[in-house]
Amino acid sequence: MRMRTQTFTFLLWIAAAGLFLLSGCGSEKGADASKEPSATFAFPWSPSSLDPHGSDSWEIMRSGAGETLVKLNKELEPVPWLAKEWKQETPTTWTFGLQENVTFHNGKPMDAASVKASLQRSIEKEAKARDLLKIKTIEAASNQLKIETTEPNAALPAHLADPSVTIGDVGTLGKRGTYPALTGPFQMEEFHKDESLALKRYEQYWGEKALLSNITIRFIPEGNTRLMALQSGDVDAAVDIPVDNIDVLQKSNQFEILTAPSLRTHMMLFNVQSSVFKDAAFRKAVDALVPKEEIVQSVMKGKALAANGPFPDLLPFGQGEEKKETGSFEAFMKEEGWKKNEEARWEKNGKLFEINMLTFPQRPELTVMAEIIQSELLANGVQVNLRQVENIDEALAKEKWDVAMYSMLTAHTGDPEYFLNLFYRSDSSSNVSHYASPVLDQLIAQLKETADQEQRNELALNIQKIITSDMPQSFLVHPETIFAVRKGLTGFEPHASEFYYIHSQINVAGE
Amino acid sequence: MKIVIRFGVERIAQLVLVVFLVSSLTFWLLRLAPGDPAYLLLTAHNIPVSDEALADLREELGLTDSLGSQYMNWLQDAFTLQWGTSYVSKEPVANELLSRIPATLELAGAGLLVMVLVTFTMGGATALYSSGWLNRIGRGAALLGSSVPSFWLGFLLIYVCSVQFGWLPSMGRGTAAHLILPALTLGLGLGTVYARVLRSSLLEVMDQPFVQATKARGLSKRRILFFHVCKHALLPVVTMMGTSFAFMLGGSMIVESIFSWPGLGNYMIESINKRDYPVIQGYVILTSFLFVSIHIAVDLLSKLVDPRMRAR
Repeated sequence: MRMRTQTFTFLLWIAAAGLFLLSGCGSEKGADASKEPSATFAFPWSPSSLDPHGSDSWEIMRSGAGETLVKLNKELEPVPWLAKEWKQETPTTWTFGLQENVTFHNGKPMDAASVKASLQRSIEKEAKARDLLKIKTIEAASNQLKIETTEPNAALPAHLADPSVTIGDVGTLGKRGTYPALTGPFQMEEFHKDESLALKRYEQYWGEKALLSNITIRFIPEGNTRLMALQSGDVDAAVDIPVDNIDVLQKSNQFEILTAPSLRTHMMLFNVQSSVFKDAAFRKAVDALVPKEEIVQSVMKGKALAANGPFPDLLPFGQGEEKKETGSFEAFMKEEGWKKNEEARWEKNGKLFEINMLTFPQRPELTVMAEIIQSELLANGVQVNLRQVENIDEALAKEKWDVAMYSMLTAHTGDPEYFLNLFYRSDSSSNVSHYASPVLDQLIAQLKETADQEQRNELALNIQKIITSDMPQSFLVHPETIFAVRKGLTGFEPHASEFYYIHSQINVAGE
Repeated sequence: MKIVIRFGVERIAQLVLVVFLVSSLTFWLLRLAPGDPAYLLLTAHNIPVSDEALADLREELGLTDSLGSQYMNWLQDAFTLQWGTSYVSKEPVANELLSRIPATLELAGAGLLVMVLVTFTMGGATALYSSGWLNRIGRGAALLGSSVPSFWLGFLLIYVCSVQFGWLPSMGRGTAAHLILPALTLGLGLGTVYARVLRSSLLEVMDQPFVQATKARGLSKRRILFFHVCKHALLPVVTMMGTSFAFMLGGSMIVESIFSWPGLGNYMIESINKRDYPVIQGYVILTSFLFVSIHIAVDLLSKLVDPRMRAR
């Protein structure tokens, strides 16, 4: 009896272990079986639906299935894509000539009427698209679109590159049971929410056909898991690699780390209405104390550029050099009547000089930066009360604060107007620093009406001059976008704009 | 028969009441918590948003209605089992949740299996050899099991089994091989702890007079353990496992997120981050229903296992 039970338990365990191993082997063989060139990518976010005119438009565009009328090139200038040319007829009317021989993934040809229907659907569905385009009417004639805007919108071509206006056959969009018929080099084949999206080459693609026949996108939100999926060979490339993990990958000769400057700006907001930071001279004095290079090296591991303004240098209107004022902080404090006490803290009439600083957990690197700034200010005699809040925007609106960490994507379509208008116009609710300048308001209004690209850049530069002289924010760094790819996979590179990931020219070296 | 019917009616009434109270409470707590769904949806990529766009979306999502009428709308949805529409995907909440249940069920089932296997083999063995090296290993494992956080264990398993040796896939769902690592992460820790519970419960029963009597009758130690003691010692373990299983059914947020497992837990983290109110509320209804149902089931099971409970 004793012997029998023991043997039985033993056999049971052996059987279980064998089953596990067998199933493991099975999956590997399955993956290697296909001969066609294919690749698997790890992206962080899964779309919640495949409707390109919803909150998931970025993820759809990233999959290589969707295209817009206009594309942004490496220099972030608007260039032809589904529209082959455009012209501004009057300040509020534009004509767009469309590419010929374009078909949707269901085989239907793309013509002016279908593009009009697609644009109209995105405006109806997406508040952001409405906001960016300001379209009043669209007229479709053979292969041309005539668009009239409600007000002069010189940034219309650039804004037509926003993923929320991806062009698709409206009959197939937002429908259950069918995949959206778009125009990109890859068409969607199988989608599992939160899990994966499989795409195959679209053979009737109007441009250069895709080199890979199949691609699979795996959605892995957790950064460490994304890294290990790459290391274990489950995926061939992973995007948004956490900076802390770069060293691990660089030690191996199997992977390449690719970076590109992004259009993001990490910044420290000053509350211009607070008693501490109402004076621009003081804001500048504090800005001069922020050790930006140290932040770039220690927090961002060198994968960022020190920021001098809201826009990175790669943009034609990004401002290059920085005029840093040094040594003014102490002078400023003394001038204002503050004295250092025995503990080397600034004090006036028995009251300590204190600053309330907010940070938030969703971007952990910002909290580390906040701590560096806190200790730097402490070394200069300023007590900083650092507090982490769950929802930064809510806290900015409701709580008492002097400085706060913040991060913004400042020119996602390569154009400065949208950001400047919402972030700096004195009556905009997105103007979180509560900064108001009548001159700036006027320049922003002028920017909206200026169509000439040179003049727009000039205006944007002038606006930034005012911003850096009034310093409502201290601009810290522009982080870089980091991809890691297995050697042998070519063409999968980060782009400054965060919505072009997969394209037709990605390839794998033959095995 | 009458008793059974009364028991059933009582429990169902209890179930409905608990689900109603818990989900109503969630409704109000969510509204009190900071975060505006419309704002979060529009600023997902950290691009500023215009007041007009924000106002439009708030209107569209019904966030401009008074809290009272929002609550009434929600009650109506809840009772008709519609549960509203997700703010993010614009799909019915019931569909969203249902489509993720199979993955969670699969993982919970596998996790439970690991937990049961570990509990019974380790608990049984350490009770049988209650002093000696096996028991010391069991004690050590239980200490590790209760103190090692699952995210650490999960990453360790991925590192060893996928990155170093390439035995198993590192993440995702699909084949049975995909299930092994998450199931181990989910079940191992609890299993080692429950093994200790089972062991002490077994030992306690073994001291009772009726067991002494079986010993006197000359039955083998194994026979006594399996056929006489086990039945009595199971009660506390079954209760605890029931609770753990209910937790697993709600979707283990940590394990699902580490392994990119497309289940309820993973989905909930995202929905909470985006303040997708209808989804969170639907989830609370679902999980509170599951929880109470499993408790009722455990209750029934204990009555089956233990005649004393039946009398109560």
